Amino acid sequence: MKNINKETLKMAANKLMFDMSEEQYNHLLNEFDVIVSQMNLIGKIEGVDNATPMTFPFDVTSTKLREDVATTPLDRDVALRNAKDVVDGQIRLPRVVK
Amino acid sequence: MEYMNKSLTQIHNALIKGEVTPLELVKEAIEKAKKDDNNAFEYICEKEALEAVKKLDESNKDSLLWGVPVVIKDNYSTKDIPTTASSNILNGYVPVFSAEAVIRLEKAGAIVIAKTTMDELAMGGSGTTGHLGVTYNPWDKSKTRIVGGSSCGSAAAMASGIVPIALGSDTGDSVRKPASYAALVGFKPTWGRISRFGLFPFATSLDHVGYFSRNVYDSAYLLNVLAGHDDKDFSSSFKEVNDYTSKINEGVINKRIAVIKGIIDSIKDKTVLASFDESINYLKKQGATVDVVEIDINLLKSIFPTYVIISCAEATSNNANLDGIKFGNRIEGESFEEVMMNTRTNGFSPLIKRRFVIGSFSLMRENQDELFVRAQKCRRMIVDAFNKVFEKYDAIYCPASPSIAPLIKGSSDTLSDEYLIADNYMAFGNMGGYPSITLPIGFENNMPFGANLTCKPFDEANLFSIANEIEKGTGLKDLVAKEGR
Amino acid sequence: MEFEAVIGLEIHVEMKTKSKMFSSAPVTFGSDPNTQINPIDMAFPGTLPQVNKQAVINAIRVSHALNMKIDNLVVFERKNYFYSDLPKGYQITQQFRPIGSDGYLTIQTSQGEKRIGIERLHMEEDTCKQLHSWDFSLLDYNRAGIPLIEIVSLPEMRSGEEAAKYVEKIRSIVTFLDVSDGKMEEGSLRCDVNISLREKGSTKFGTKVEIKNLNSINNIQKAIDFEISRQSIILEFGGHIEQETRRFDEGSKETVLMRVKTDAVDYKYFTDPNIAPIKLSKEFIEEAIKSSPELAESKLKRYKELGLNEYDSSLLIADKDISNYFDSGLKSGCSAKLLANWVIGDVQSCLNKDGESIKAFPVSALSLGKLILLVEKNEVSNKQAREVFAKMIETGKEANELVKEMGLSQVSDTGELLSIIKEVIDANPQSVIDYKAGKDRAIGFIVGQVMKKTQGKANPALANKLILEEINRR
Repeated sequence: MKNINKETLKMAANKLMFDMSEEQYNHLLNEFDVIVSQMNLIGKIEGVDNATPMTFPFDVTSTKLREDVATTPLDRDVALRNAKDVVDGQIRLPRVVK
Repeated sequence: MEYMNKSLTQIHNALIKGEVTPLELVKEAIEKAKKDDNNAFEYICEKEALEAVKKLDESNKDSLLWGVPVVIKDNYSTKDIPTTASSNILNGYVPVFSAEAVIRLEKAGAIVIAKTTMDELAMGGSGTTGHLGVTYNPWDKSKTRIVGGSSCGSAAAMASGIVPIALGSDTGDSVRKPASYAALVGFKPTWGRISRFGLFPFATSLDHVGYFSRNVYDSAYLLNVLAGHDDKDFSSSFKEVNDYTSKINEGVINKRIAVIKGIIDSIKDKTVLASFDESINYLKKQGATVDVVEIDINLLKSIFPTYVIISCAEATSNNANLDGIKFGNRIEGESFEEVMMNTRTNGFSPLIKRRFVIGSFSLMRENQDELFVRAQKCRRMIVDAFNKVFEKYDAIYCPASPSIAPLIKGSSDTLSDEYLIADNYMAFGNMGGYPSITLPIGFENNMPFGANLTCKPFDEANLFSIANEIEKGTGLKDLVAKEGR
Repeated sequence: MEFEAVIGLEIHVEMKTKSKMFSSAPVTFGSDPNTQINPIDMAFPGTLPQVNKQAVINAIRVSHALNMKIDNLVVFERKNYFYSDLPKGYQITQQFRPIGSDGYLTIQTSQGEKRIGIERLHMEEDTCKQLHSWDFSLLDYNRAGIPLIEIVSLPEMRSGEEAAKYVEKIRSIVTFLDVSDGKMEEGSLRCDVNISLREKGSTKFGTKVEIKNLNSINNIQKAIDFEISRQSIILEFGGHIEQETRRFDEGSKETVLMRVKTDAVDYKYFTDPNIAPIKLSKEFIEEAIKSSPELAESKLKRYKELGLNEYDSSLLIADKDISNYFDSGLKSGCSAKLLANWVIGDVQSCLNKDGESIKAFPVSALSLGKLILLVEKNEVSNKQAREVFAKMIETGKEANELVKEMGLSQVSDTGELLSIIKEVIDANPQSVIDYKAGKDRAIGFIVGQVMKKTQGKANPALANKLILEEINRR
């Protein structure tokens, strides 16, 4: 597992596009102590390593797909009404450098 | 005459007899909402509600919800009504569509009068972390106790007698825990039973539409209105919808109920245990078999950490759309990265950010096996263990909280080992997608506490009939926190 | 030292379904910005993905055409990353269980036939389109959510030519299956190249360079050929290859550095819990394949069976719409060979002249077939048919109608023609004598006279035959 320290946590936060205060990183370090020790305990539960990972609460397999029929799209003004910076019917951002 | 502190049936009868009109009900609810001092509301939709009353469809008068004011947790998309999920990042967001659950309520004649406060993005259990601050427990007039979360505003609005029905959402116990603290019936159905379309996701595989009512019958009735497949939700079930009220009085003769030993053992509060025992004795007297059943204590202890890892992991992805570009409270910057960075740094509270880091860290390539995948494996073990109990028993029954509502001071939503089982076990209901209901069973120092009943997937009818019997035994229903109590 | 190139391709194909991969917003090209979207495409909170059936059918069909194993359980994962063009902050894709796996296709190169292995084919969704100006970028969500198929080859190609043939074949498959327009210039087929060099005979892989922004099959070949020589020179002089992303510069015909690759991005994949796994029944998969439009290869075979030569057949299948046009023309019952000549010749040259697509061509294939039938029945001559064809393009009228209007129908009535022939022969007895004396040319004179009398409408073949018969009778 990746080393958990302030730097790796800060990197993880920045990859999620936000930053936190020093105090919060310390707080988070303490929380990770709790989590990692709890997860280590879980690792010791008999049979856990052989269990199949569960995504859905029970077997939810379905056979239904959506028919390929187009419906009326949103009115452009409605679609964009929540965007803060709109120019010529498009959302504006500072230039995206590729 | 007040009506908003009554049950659906009582209000409906008054409407039918012409004692009161929908408009008067809406006015009563809005007046009360305006006077609320528990921080229950994000937004009171007075204008919209008064418009909606005018448009009520008379042909729908048989519906118990017809003309009845309701409130909606602020994580349901409501068309043209501001929706923030109590997060600053969504300040100013006005959705362009309504959640399926809201649409079904409105079709049944309900009138939405307000959006309620919640823990920010539903990621908390105390009702203290929303952007409007602490939501108080109406049962405690000194305003020193939490009402619980994350559906805090909905619980507070119910307990204050402002509306008879409130929509909440339940990812770990976010409806069922506050119900315990506020003397309400709190219910979440089988995963996939009610469409999640329009519910802001916290942790998709654990998220459930849930709600509060004043009694078990209203809860069953409401499921009739909300349940059923929705093409817009690819996890919603095709199973047919029953009339969930039809078996409500069938009693508990020959029904088998399991009490989980490790959970009971983790509870120390004697008043809670005494009331719980009393309700068990009543169930036995009515013909039910009640056994204490063991589940590996390590599995019970693992429920919470498993829940934390899975829910935080899914949450960090689910909320990645909140970047200020398409909607929400954008904060400008020199580049798109800066726009996202500024928006998200300012928009989320420290608690939320910590949870996102936990979730993201769990999903990283080099950590996934030991954190996220291990949690998913443990989820399987936990669900298998409870499924095994359901092979022999109709229901699992335990106290819904280890005590009455805690004091605000000291409840912080920081992750800790304290009350590891008793305070967090109800998340097994989300992991297994089981239908689950909390209902009041007693009081301590005038503060309520409840018990929780859980059945196997799609066994809601059975759940309501057993819960109804428990309610008969306690006589605790249609409760509202009284002024000056 | 001799080097060998190791080339693998990742191809993204934009589908032309009616609605998007996970939303029912329309898929259109060239609409006004942000007019083809619904709340799902904007990632408004609470929206959920709804899997498009036709997209799944398309993926099955392409997988089948690429000889792949088809997974009967459809599961989607989330690929998590932040970018300005990614509305949800994750892309829904199929990381762990691609719908198609372990396939191949066969290409014809100057070195002969070669089989290229294909690792996987999966479904995913497109991002929104960004328009960059000098100080800001504009976002158009019309493209957000359009279904994509990604096809990942094994690193089994060795030259620019092989890569070009491979892409050509994929393009033919997705266009013939009606899955996509397959237009590289317009971005409905996008190709990224991974290329490394190694000493010939070695089994180890060299450092991989990625080439992006390739907007034509020609450029793929040029970019690879350039890259092979660039890397060869570096290696030859003892240098080493940087792991980097390059793009092809159209002006200089060279690849240029875009960015040096740092650590591989961690996309934190996990199964999307919003989409319950979808089980595809055996019948569903079989039906998708059975009802699949005909591939170029199969058409080629069929055309040869109709008696067309290799060259004509391959011209017809070079373009799906042309071959579809040809196929509908066949329904008229006309000769396949004649039809092929017309389509490849007259029709194509009209199209080339006007730069039009065959879909907009004013003469339907069936109408063309009917014109050809008239030629076959000797009702009009080839020369006349071309005049009629020109009029058909102009007026949109049917051939038989125009033939009447233009007064073109040939005199093919034996009795009528014979009496004219008798008249002409009676008036020119010397010709008969000349012919019988061995002067074959005398026949030409008679024919000319008959044509003159009929104002050119006599069916030449029939006239010839009848004249000979009549002379011999005398």
